[in-house]
Amino acid sequence: MTAQLTGRVALITGGASGLGEAIAHRFADEGATVVIGDVDAPGAQSVADAIVARGHNALAVVGDVTRTEDVESMVDAAASIGPLRALVLSAAVESFRPVVDLSDDEWQHILDVDLKGPFLAMRAGIPHLIANGGGSVIALGSTLGLIVAPGHPAYCAAKGALVNLCKQAAIEHAADNVRVNVLAPSATDTGLFMTFSAQAPDPEAVRARVAAANPMKRLGTADEVCDAAVFLASDRSTYLSGSVIALDGGMAARRM
Amino acid sequence: MTSPKPDRLAGFPNFDRLLDGKVALITGSGSGQGRAAALVMARHGARVVVVDFNEEGARETVQLLEEQDSEGIAVTVDVSQRANCDEMVAVAMERFGRIDVLYNNAAVQMSGRVLDCTDEEWDLTIATNLSAIFYACRAALPHMLSGEGGSIINTASTLGLIGSEGFAAYGAAKAGLVKLTQQIAVEYGPTVRANVIAPGSIDTPRFRRVLDQTDGAEQWVEQLTRNIPLRRLGLAEDVAGIALFLASDLSTYMSGAILPADGGLAAYR
Repeated sequence: MTAQLTGRVALITGGASGLGEAIAHRFADEGATVVIGDVDAPGAQSVADAIVARGHNALAVVGDVTRTEDVESMVDAAASIGPLRALVLSAAVESFRPVVDLSDDEWQHILDVDLKGPFLAMRAGIPHLIANGGGSVIALGSTLGLIVAPGHPAYCAAKGALVNLCKQAAIEHAADNVRVNVLAPSATDTGLFMTFSAQAPDPEAVRARVAAANPMKRLGTADEVCDAAVFLASDRSTYLSGSVIALDGGMAARRM
Repeated sequence: MTSPKPDRLAGFPNFDRLLDGKVALITGSGSGQGRAAALVMARHGARVVVVDFNEEGARETVQLLEEQDSEGIAVTVDVSQRANCDEMVAVAMERFGRIDVLYNNAAVQMSGRVLDCTDEEWDLTIATNLSAIFYACRAALPHMLSGEGGSIINTASTLGLIGSEGFAAYGAAKAGLVKLTQQIAVEYGPTVRANVIAPGSIDTPRFRRVLDQTDGAEQWVEQLTRNIPLRRLGLAEDVAGIALFLASDLSTYMSGAILPADGGLAAYR
C-alpha cells in the first residue's frame, strides 16, 4: 500500500505522549511531515527526534493549547514548513471527581484544555487548510462525550461540547473542502486512560473491569486509533465531515 | 354488595398544586421564559427565588408574583461569576430553608462562526452558558441531597443538539450542558433528577431585540416558521409548561432526559 499522506504537513497537539504520539509516528510513516505541538518540551522534542531517527520529517513546537499566542505559533510553525493539510487535536486532560467535589480551577482547566484548545487550534489552523485547497481536522473526542459515566463532569461536558463545535465548523467550512470530524475512542491501551487508571490502587483491576464492560471484552489499541486517524486525514474519506466515529468496540451503541 | 370504585388517579399528585410547599430557584427569571416559569410554578404553590442581573426585571417578576398572591424574592446577580451562584443559593436557603427546584434558564446568546469568534466572546459564552450552571448545581446539590431531593432543569437549545452555522461557542456550550446534566443525573440519581429543556425559536423580549437588529426580519421569521412543524414560534409559556412538568412529581421517573420545546424543529432537521 502506498503512503497516504505524502507531501502533507500535519499539526498534532498533545503529540508528545499517548495517542498523539502514536498518531504522530503513524502519520510520519504515511509520508506526512508532522509538527508535534505540546506543553511538554522534552517530550515533544524526543518524539520529533525519534521520528527523524526513523528517516521521516518532524518538528517539535512547545506551546500550551489554552493560550491563544501559543496555538498561533504552533500553527505558524507548521504552515511555514509546507502545506498544512491536517490538524489532529489530541491534547486533553481528565480527572475523576464528582460534581460536588470538583474545584473551580479543575473545572476551568479541563474545559480550557479539552474544549477551548481545539477551538483555538481550529480558528488559527482552518484558514491555512483553506489556503492549501482543503484539509482535515481530526478532534480526539471520547466515548464519554457520547455517553456519561459518573465522576467525569468536566471531561464529559467538554467532550460533548467538542462534538457540537466540530459539527459547527464542519458546516461552516464544508464548501471550503475542509472536513471536520470527531474520533471518539473508548478506553485505549495508550494515553489518558492508562495514565488515569495508573492512579488507582490496583490499576490492572481497573483495566480488566473496563475491558470486561466493553462489548469486545478488551481495550482499544493505539494502532486502531491510528488507523482511523489516517483514514480521516487521507483522501479515502473525502465526503466524510461533521461526523463522530465511535471507535469503541460497540460501547456507545450499547449505552445509547 | 358493591365495593367502592378504586380511585384510578390515587398515585398522581394534586394536579392543581403540583409544587405545594416547594421552593424553586430560577435564573434569568426577570423576563421571558424564566418569568413565565416563575409565574406558573408559583401558581402551583412554589415559592420562587427570582434571579436576574437586571434588577428592574427581577423586581417586576416579584411584583407579578405578589399580584397573583404568590411568594417570591428577587436576587440581582450576574450568574457568570461563581461567587454569585453561591450567593443566590445561600439567599434561597436563608430565606426559605430549602431548594427543591433549580432551573438554570439564564444564558447569553452570541453568534459568530468559528473563525470569527474572539477569545472574549468564547470565554463569556462558555462561562455564562456552561460553567455558571456547573457552579449553581455544585452549590445547590448538597442542600438537595441532605433534604428531600430535588429537580434540576437546565436550559440548552436546539443549537446544542444539532450542528448549525454561526453559533460556534453557543452551540458548544449548550451541547456541553446536555452532557453535564446527564452526568449529574447519573451521579446523584437516587435523590436528584436532572433534565434538559432544549428550546427552539421562542418569541421572547430577547428574541425581539435580535429581530429589531435584523434586516428583513419579517421575511426571516416567515422562513424560520416554515421549518417548524407546528408552524409558529414558541411562547415563553410553551417552555414554562415543560419546566413545570419537570419540576413536579409528574416526572418522578424522568432523569437525564432532553425535552425539546421547539415545535418539532429538531425532528424536522
